[in-house]
Amino acid sequence: MSEDLQHGQRKELSAGLIQYSVESAMPFGPIHPSLKEPEYFKLILEGERIVQVIPRIGYVHRGIERAAQERTWVKNIYLFERICGICSFAHSLGYTHAVEALTPFEVPKRAKYIRVIVAELERIHSHLLWLGLLGHWAGFDTLFMWIWKDREHILDLEEAITGNRVHKSYSTFGGVRMDLPDGIAAKLKTEMKYIEKRVDYYENLVGAEETLTVRTKGVGRISQETARRLSPVGPLLRCTGIARDVRVEDPYAAYDEIAPRVQTSNDGDIASLLTLRLNEIRESCWMVSEAAERLPTGPYKVSIPRAVPRGESMFHVEAPRGELFYFVKSGGGSAPERVKIRTSTMANLLTATEMLKGCTLADVPVVLTGMDPCFGCMDRISVLDVGQSKEWSVRGEELRTYGIEYYRKRLS
Amino acid sequence: MNAASCNGCDIEILAALTPRYDAERLGVELVPSPRHADVLLVTGTINPLMKDRLKTVYEQVPEPRHVVAIGACALGGGVYKDCYNAGRGIDAVIPVDLYIPGCPPRPEAIIYGILKLVTGGPPDPIEGEEAIVK
Amino acid sequence: MSSEDLAKLAASLGGSLATRPKSVELTITPDKVLDACKSIASIPGLYHLTTITGLDLGEEIGLLYQFWQGRGFVVVRTAVPKANPKIQSISGTLASATLYEAEIQDLLGVSFDGNPYLGKKLLLPDNYPAEAPPPLRKEADPEKIRKMMELE
Repeated sequence: MSEDLQHGQRKELSAGLIQYSVESAMPFGPIHPSLKEPEYFKLILEGERIVQVIPRIGYVHRGIERAAQERTWVKNIYLFERICGICSFAHSLGYTHAVEALTPFEVPKRAKYIRVIVAELERIHSHLLWLGLLGHWAGFDTLFMWIWKDREHILDLEEAITGNRVHKSYSTFGGVRMDLPDGIAAKLKTEMKYIEKRVDYYENLVGAEETLTVRTKGVGRISQETARRLSPVGPLLRCTGIARDVRVEDPYAAYDEIAPRVQTSNDGDIASLLTLRLNEIRESCWMVSEAAERLPTGPYKVSIPRAVPRGESMFHVEAPRGELFYFVKSGGGSAPERVKIRTSTMANLLTATEMLKGCTLADVPVVLTGMDPCFGCMDRISVLDVGQSKEWSVRGEELRTYGIEYYRKRLS
Repeated sequence: MNAASCNGCDIEILAALTPRYDAERLGVELVPSPRHADVLLVTGTINPLMKDRLKTVYEQVPEPRHVVAIGACALGGGVYKDCYNAGRGIDAVIPVDLYIPGCPPRPEAIIYGILKLVTGGPPDPIEGEEAIVK
Repeated sequence: MSSEDLAKLAASLGGSLATRPKSVELTITPDKVLDACKSIASIPGLYHLTTITGLDLGEEIGLLYQFWQGRGFVVVRTAVPKANPKIQSISGTLASATLYEAEIQDLLGVSFDGNPYLGKKLLLPDNYPAEAPPPLRKEADPEKIRKMMELE
């Protein structure tokens, strides 16, 4: 069991255990899971610290890109927004913009402003959701409950505007599906003020609450150099101090007229992500109020004929988790020939595995939540302890309890 | 349990436990392990990676156990029913006691469904329509 | 990279350059892709590999390496024959390409020589039928694949 292994080697032991050499020449070594159930993350431990992480995704793989080729252009709006329940509108924005780019039509100004309002409302709800979940995984359930109660204010607004809380089916080719209801501008401004006050409150709370600070400061740190090498997107990139945001680099909808001030934080750890997302909520509140204030009159959509001209187009939007990319190819038919979607979590996955290196098992729930993944990654994780030649799998919930106990002992 | 869902139903289930809807006041509690559960809530269209896992989790719930399929995907595949990697409803894998339709169903609908499961009886008829009894 | 630099790069690699409203496209043969990507990514931090898109073009599988350069998209376009879909991986130089190549390996059956996921699956289930074509190829039939994987 303690035989030295060559660089990148693995050795079959008895009872089906496989010993791995810790240092592998490649980022993801030639390792096959020895368990029958597929894991999302295989963590390789040495002593207390994680030295290698192997992601195996695919549990949510549904075959959507293929299915899109058999649905009409409009039906695909309903399909793509259901890729993710949390950033559903970002998906429909990406797709509708990509298709509009193939046509000669220009979306009316009012629709552009409305798209910004709903997109920023979605960003606020997503960041609040994330913050609440972070509280839950860190053992701070009160924070989770309070934040999700505040989040309901945003969902009420979304429902008033679009008719639904989650899958809004609101962006359509040429604009939005229906106009804003009367009186919504005033309501938006009031609610944004409420959210801003709550964000101030939560910022003080998370800064003062030891349960959170000890689990987030210095934890999961990544450097700018790592970020440049691995090309993450969104808050994960901006928390290292690199100020890149698709809304500013490649403005779409009304972002050329209501430009966000790109927020960054500098330490590249989970605490940085906390500060950053809170500031992004504030910035989004400002943008919603601005858009509501300066809302132009005019049509909320322009009619676009069903047949989409031949061509290829690329479009990216800044979803709550980062750059979301759509590539659309039209052969002139009633269904797209090809739609390729690159979600922000896919772009961030390698960076997230880097964040985990050097962490302890107790940090895993907080660090994985910290990257704000768009999949239920916490369902099952497999752990391999090289030092003890032990391999076992653990449920996300067990890790959560383990992490809470670990830090409770540290603080007492 | 999330069996390959978009998370839409999952966040509405979680929302049902938060103060606005507060399912906990009715005695509903989210437990960390299937071994402590009485009811298994399942969302999502099962894909091949999740099929066996769903069976395993179901078997870990001690009897008497109930299964609730939440959302259009768990009911019949939802919007993915013709995708190559998606199933057509979880009742192909495990027995289901209650179906809550929606994409996603509102937290109120989820609470109503779970209460109906506990108290028994068919759903209350919608005014002017026949009661749909499963 | 300015258009002049890209034009020079295109010439040096024996490829052609096309300027579109939102992007500049460099079309080259598969063996030149690594060099092209290295050049485009030579300004660290300014380039960003957004993704790699695969397309079934009938006899060939098209590959689009889509870079965002802060002001416009730069696309490296190439194609490999379907009968022998192999190409050199760029993941050794651009680590962020690892998962994008792995996805195309799964869904279109292209082999990226040097990619850590070569021969393993990233997205598709382990019981994806070996006799079925990769799902995004035109000849793949989703209904048949479902039946083979016993999805009711």
